Parts: sequence; C-alpha cells; structure tokens
Amino acid sequence: MQETAIKVNQLNKSFGRKKVLNDLSFNVPMNSISGFLGPNGAGKTTTLRILMGLVPLLQGEIVMLGESLPGGRSKAVEQIGAVVENPTFIETMTAVENLYWFGSLYKPVTNERILEAIALVGLKDAANQRFGTFSSGMKQRLGVAFGILHKPRLLILDEPTSGMDPAGRVQMREILQRIHSEEKTTIFLSSHLLDEVQRLCDYVVIIDRGRTAREGYVGEILSGHQETWEIRMPDEFFSKAIEVLKTFEGLQWSEGPRGLMLTMKSEMSPGINQALVAAEIKVSALIPHEASLEETFIRLTSEEKGN
Amino acid sequence: MRRMLVLLMFELKKILNRKKALLFLIALNVVPLVASLALIVAYVKFKSFGFGEVQFNVLYEVVQGLFTAHIKLFSYIAPFFLALVIGDSFSTEFSRGYMKMLLITPVQRWQVITAKTVSIMLFLLLAVTIGGFFLQADLIVARGMTQNSGLLNTSMLPEQLNVEKPSFIVSTSAAVQLLFMTFAGNLMLIGFFILFSLFFESAIIMSFSSLSILMGLHSFYMIATNFLGKLDVWYNDAAQWVFSRHLSDLFSISRIEKILDGRLNIFDAEVMASLGSSFAWAALFYLLAVLIFSRKQILH
Repeated sequence: MQETAIKVNQLNKSFGRKKVLNDLSFNVPMNSISGFLGPNGAGKTTTLRILMGLVPLLQGEIVMLGESLPGGRSKAVEQIGAVVENPTFIETMTAVENLYWFGSLYKPVTNERILEAIALVGLKDAANQRFGTFSSGMKQRLGVAFGILHKPRLLILDEPTSGMDPAGRVQMREILQRIHSEEKTTIFLSSHLLDEVQRLCDYVVIIDRGRTAREGYVGEILSGHQETWEIRMPDEFFSKAIEVLKTFEGLQWSEGPRGLMLTMKSEMSPGINQALVAAEIKVSALIPHEASLEETFIRLTSEEKGN
Repeated sequence: MRRMLVLLMFELKKILNRKKALLFLIALNVVPLVASLALIVAYVKFKSFGFGEVQFNVLYEVVQGLFTAHIKLFSYIAPFFLALVIGDSFSTEFSRGYMKMLLITPVQRWQVITAKTVSIMLFLLLAVTIGGFFLQADLIVARGMTQNSGLLNTSMLPEQLNVEKPSFIVSTSAAVQLLFMTFAGNLMLIGFFILFSLFFESAIIMSFSSLSILMGLHSFYMIATNFLGKLDVWYNDAAQWVFSRHLSDLFSISRIEKILDGRLNIFDAEVMASLGSSFAWAALFYLLAVLIFSRKQILH
C-alpha cells in the first residue's frame, strides 16, 4: 500500500498571461484528513480542478493512489470521490435518482448503498425529494453522499462548508470525521475557514500564489510556533512591568486593551510570572492564547508577500 | 462499455425529460399529423359519396405533395430544433454545472461527447420515425381509398381512368428511403452544432450564432454558384467546400419527387455521393469536437 495518496510535482498552470500555479509540489499522506489552505486566488480551486480532471493537466506530474495522470486517470478516479464546490445535480430528479444515475457512472450501485450514503450525510428524510427543492446545505451534503457512494479510498472536497450556517458546518465536520473513521477514507479538502481545518485535519498544505508555502502535520507546524500570552494587571503597573520584561531575551511585547500581550516560548512563562511578582506588580491573570493555524497562515502568506 | 451505456441512457432520459423535447417531436411532424386527420375525414366522406376521377387525381397529388412537403419542411426546420436540443445538452450543461458532475466521474471525455451525440441522433431518429409512422398511416388510408373506391368497382371504371395509374400511391420502400435520407442529412448538422456548442454557455446564443453562420455559409454558396462563379471560377471552387450544399442537394424537390415516383433510389450514385459527403462532414465535425472537448477547461 502506497504511503502517499496524492503526489503533486512541479505543477504549472496559466490562464492567459496570468500564472496561477508556479511549480506547485506537495504530498498528501494516506489515511489522513488533509487540509488545503491558501488565500483567495492562491490557486486552490485550480489545483483541485486539475486533480478532479476538470482542467486538463498540461505541465507537471500528478500521481493519485499510485496512478499517474492523465494516463491512469480513469483507474485512479474509480477509487476517488470528488465533491465540487456547489454540487449541481439534475433539479427535476430526486436525491435517490440523482445518486443512482451519477453513481452508476463509477460502478453499479445498489439501492441499499444509496440509502446508506444518504443516511450517512443525514438526508434520510429528503431522500425522495427533488434536488431543486434542496437548500444549499443539503445540496452540499448530497454532494458528499455522491462522493462516498462508491466507497472511495480518497475523497477530495472543494470548500465543503461554503455557504453553510455554523450548525451546518459542525454537522459537515462530524460527517467527514465519521466517513474517515468508518470507511477508512483519506480526505483532502480545501477551505478558507482555518479554525475548522485546525479542528478537523491532521495534515495541512498551505499554498500562496501558486507555490507551496508550508506543508506538514498540524502538530509539527504549530510546535515551532511562538505563543501569545496575555498579562492582565492594573494600568498603573504597565511602565514598571515593561522595565521588568526588558530584562528577558527572546520576548516581544505590545500593549493590549486590558494588559500586555507577550509573544514568547511557553516555557518562559513561570520565570516571567516570578519576576513580575518579585517587582511587586499585582498580576491579576496570565492567560495563554492557544497557538492557532490562523497566525501561522497569516505569517506564512504575508512573509511571501514581503519578498 | 457498461459506463458508456449508462451514460447514453442518462443522456436520453435528460433529453426526453424536457418538455421542450415533446414539443419538438410534435412540431417537426406537424405535416404528417395534420394530414392524417385530413385524410381520415376525406376517407369517411369518399366512402359515402363514391370515388371519381377527379378525387383520384387530387388524392394522388395530395399524398405526393404530403411527402415532399414533410421532407422539405423537416429539412428546413429541423436545424432550428436540433440547435436548441444540442445547445441544451452541451452549452446549458456547462453553465448549469452538470458537465462538471459528469467529468469528475471515471468516464472519459470522448465517451461523454459520444454518448451525447448518439442520444441526439436517437432523438432525431425518433422524430423521423414518428413522422414516418403517421405518413405510413396516411398511405394506408389513401391506398384504401383508391382500391375500395366506394360504390364503383375497378372493372366498372370508364376506360380512360383505368390506364397506367399505379395501384399504389407511394411505395413503402420509397417512403423509408426518404426518411433515411432525412435522418442522414441531419447528422451533418448535429456534428456542426455540437462543435459550436462547446464554445458557448447559453443554448439560445449558441443556436442563434450557429444558425446565422450556417445561413451565412449557405447564402455564400448560393450567391457563389449562381452569380459570382460566372465572374471568377474561384468562387465555384470555394463553394464546393460549403458543407450545407449537400443538404440542398439531398433535399431538392426534384430529387424527392424522383424517389417518390420510384425513378431514383438512394443507392444510385447521385444520392450516394451526397450521403457519403454528408457522413464524411459529420465524422469530421465529430472528431474536431472530441479534440476540442478533450482540452476544454471546465471552470464553473
């Protein structure tokens, strides 16, 4: 069994004169839930379209589930489920009919499997409703049902939660987690909702302007990260506290609305607390702000812009 | 192969699910439909009042005219309807996003375009068959009228009536040949419209522009062969490449009448040449469409 589900190497794509993908390379490991992040216009959707076969691959190398594109596309796609942004099924057909017709293009589908997939995404009550009457959240979920209908080993999703309300997003997250654990499916999804990706994914690929800015396991990416701490204290101690903080190395601070914001490694916090108390500063709270993908993301993508 | 069949069934289902399709089938066959009704009325009337020489001649003309009119009208209006049906199958599917749902499945692009082409051909065949069915019914009614002419027995007819008139009005073989010609001639147009519909995302705009170009080309052909060719041979040579000329050759009134009278059949070199060219053009358009479609980017 191969280790990488998707291997993209030196992928290039231009629309007219605009270069959208610039030697993009990344790997998606098997059995992971991987996130694909990037600011608007970074080339996420284009990359996914190339992976799904909607935009022909002209320059670069893509290997999915051990089959290299474009030659092995049909063979690879039989084991891949794809959920496009805003899935559009036939409006006049019911959910079951749509899944039957579109699903039969992969392999023969049974009615039980269709109902099972529909139940898995929580659309049991709407199974015989016409697609035209679905809300956008339901459409998105039917898209996922279509993606998993043929029990793929890899599921690729483009913005699965776009246009959904918060409750819908939570549901979608649960659905994806269930698919990952119950059907052992590797999931690769693009999203611009970073907190969601952080909660769901164990691996991320961050791209910016057609290049890979960073890729790796979420834990690894966050571990090298400087954490933000907030020290709350009465205003009159501010200047005194700053004097104390100046004695520490590898520390940055700024004034926050209700105290000082520090950026430092977490192991420095006990020492700082001790020093502040020793200087008779009445510290009312020392609050860690959990390291988030968002900060890493902004740092990575804005660094690129600086260059 | 199984996928191809599923895709074909799916496409047929999509075409026939549209109300438009039903309307087209009726509109394309309006001549035979109306004629059937008229002939039935005439039959009832003749049966009670007898059948004379005048009526026979009129009937003969009417049924011949019916075939000519149907084939001619079909060849004129079929392009308009075909353009819209093809626009729906391709252009509308691009804009609605059905196409992307098809293309993310393991089916290959040439399979998609082939299934769509074949389903449209089957739709055209259905339209032609429905017309053929009603025309056949008309023929049976008309034959009944000439053979059981009311009170008069054939042997009782005056001498001058009993000569050289064929016992049939139009032979079934001639009718089938004409309908096959109608089908084959329109294949070329299907190819032309499919090629066009790959570049548009609206069925209406696609239909208008492709029909305009088709009419423009044909006007050029007519002007070049009738007038400009006399000034410069170049125009005559250029006009030979206007593919729509095979349509007007195929459906020329004189040729339809010859086939109706049994003086010509579609295996004669003259007709075969037109049919062959029209198949060749259809194949060319299809191959071009496959080539273009396989490189097309689906962006929304």
